[in-house]
Amino acid sequence: MIYLLQGNLSVSDSGSYLPVAIQVLFVVGLIALLIFLTHILGPKRKTADKLQSFASGIESHGDARQPMAIKYFLTAILFVLFDVEVIFFYPYAVIFKELGWNGFLAVLMFVGFFLCGFIYILKKGALKWED
Amino acid sequence: MNALILSAVLGVIMMFSGVMLKQKSAVRNIAITGLFLLLVVNILEMSGMSFFRINTAGMMHFDRFSLLFNCIVFFSTFVYLLLSARDIEKTGNYYAEYFTLIFFILCGVILVSSFQSLLILFLGIEIISIPLYILTGSDKKNLKSNEASLKYFLLGAFSTGLMLMGIALIYGSVGSFSTAQINMTEKPGALMIAGMILLLFSMSFKVSAAPFHFWTPDVYDGAPTVFTSFMATIVKVAAFIAFIRLFGEAFGNLQPQWQIWIALITAATLFIGNITAVFQQSVKRMLAYSSIAQAGFMLLSLYAMNADAKEGLLLYSAAYSLATIGIFAVLIKMNDYTFDGFNGLAKYQPLLAATTTIFLLSLAGIPLTAGFISKFYMLKAAVATGRHLWLVIFAVLMAAVSVYYYFRVIQAMYFKEGQPGIITTSPVFKYTLVVLAALIIILGIFPNLLLNWYYF
Repeated sequence: MIYLLQGNLSVSDSGSYLPVAIQVLFVVGLIALLIFLTHILGPKRKTADKLQSFASGIESHGDARQPMAIKYFLTAILFVLFDVEVIFFYPYAVIFKELGWNGFLAVLMFVGFFLCGFIYILKKGALKWED
Repeated sequence: MNALILSAVLGVIMMFSGVMLKQKSAVRNIAITGLFLLLVVNILEMSGMSFFRINTAGMMHFDRFSLLFNCIVFFSTFVYLLLSARDIEKTGNYYAEYFTLIFFILCGVILVSSFQSLLILFLGIEIISIPLYILTGSDKKNLKSNEASLKYFLLGAFSTGLMLMGIALIYGSVGSFSTAQINMTEKPGALMIAGMILLLFSMSFKVSAAPFHFWTPDVYDGAPTVFTSFMATIVKVAAFIAFIRLFGEAFGNLQPQWQIWIALITAATLFIGNITAVFQQSVKRMLAYSSIAQAGFMLLSLYAMNADAKEGLLLYSAAYSLATIGIFAVLIKMNDYTFDGFNGLAKYQPLLAATTTIFLLSLAGIPLTAGFISKFYMLKAAVATGRHLWLVIFAVLMAAVSVYYYFRVIQAMYFKEGQPGIITTSPVFKYTLVVLAALIIILGIFPNLLLNWYYF
């Protein structure tokens, strides 16, 4: 860790990151200030209703650790998976022309692998809702 | 490149074979044949027959070192499947998926052995880690396996975060991911040094070097034994190749700065691994600590970073992987994983006991075995640096300590009375064990059989 201190702070190195450092300081300072201010200035009214825990504006009921059918989870996670994969098409759409046929083939390969995964999921019955 | 593409495709094939084929043996045979193909294709690339010409934009480079290392990895995995493929199937319901994940891990191993860019290093490490989290937790009904998987995932994700932060800092100071560019930096700034230290920490975590080793015993103990075997051998040596490539190629010029840190980590790893292994009651847990201790020896190559070190690491990865795979393959067949479980094995299963003895002797570094000659190369490389001779002496002392816990198993097998509960073994299993033991002795006498491949 000594080398951290011995490191040579050249101009291009530290100078170009000065704005980042200022921003970090600003963020930390602002958060600390806000927490401090709300604590000092805000009124404190502790009633029984206010201290109760609630979810989405209504009173909570039941146990949060209730077992739930795995298919909800599976469908949700598969949706997220495919949703994230689609994001990869956006950068391709932007540089579609520059990449030419090579880029097209690469994306075709990507879709091919993607399709393999989809067929696998269907075959495994991950999206079968009725048992 | 051949092997990289083939292993990805084989992974997909294995995935579908689980859906299409109903017979377990068919899936297993496809996996073993696929691995053999992988080995053949890789050897073809070594002799100049590359099937694909893909422009990697300088992000990957398949040189002699990485290709030979891949050969060792594929051969070890091939042997591993021959010995333990049946046991992989018994772990859970998704037998084809386990083989799939193993092929994907091999994909990651190829990436980390031939990266020229920190991006590929990161990708490779992740492709290795994520399937491993799943394999660790593949014994779903077992609470210990679940715990191990969760622990491994949380700690692994944390160390990957450290690695990303390190890569980001280095990119910030150099402006490039390329290892050659990073090495050309004239005056490393504070950012670069901080990035290097973060990379050092995260890679030490991946190879389970002390003081980043705390996950290893629990994860190795909790995971199904077949997958512990895979994790402790093939994945661990792959992480070492990544480590030595990273510090040789990206930070080679900074060696005077990091060398003392590596020396301290090496000493700590050797000490903690060997001393803690002495106190273990379970052979599986002892092997987990022994893998930490062996990692300490492999770290010597990183410390030395010269021609001897690279040769030594190749030899060490072959010797260590083959011997440990052999021991684990026998351990899986036992009913009782404690030292007492091995009592009297020599009487009932003389062949298993004899081969296990050879594997243990190799791990302890007794002459005429591959373990001895690889330890010798490591020490030779460390002496050649001409500095920190205390480290070499300490390593030899620790190797002497390791003899104690390896020989406890031999003592239990040959000199104690007992009736070991053992599951019956097939003839293929026995033949493979004998071939493996013979290979270890041959490598111990003629290490150049392997090392010549590095040059010709």
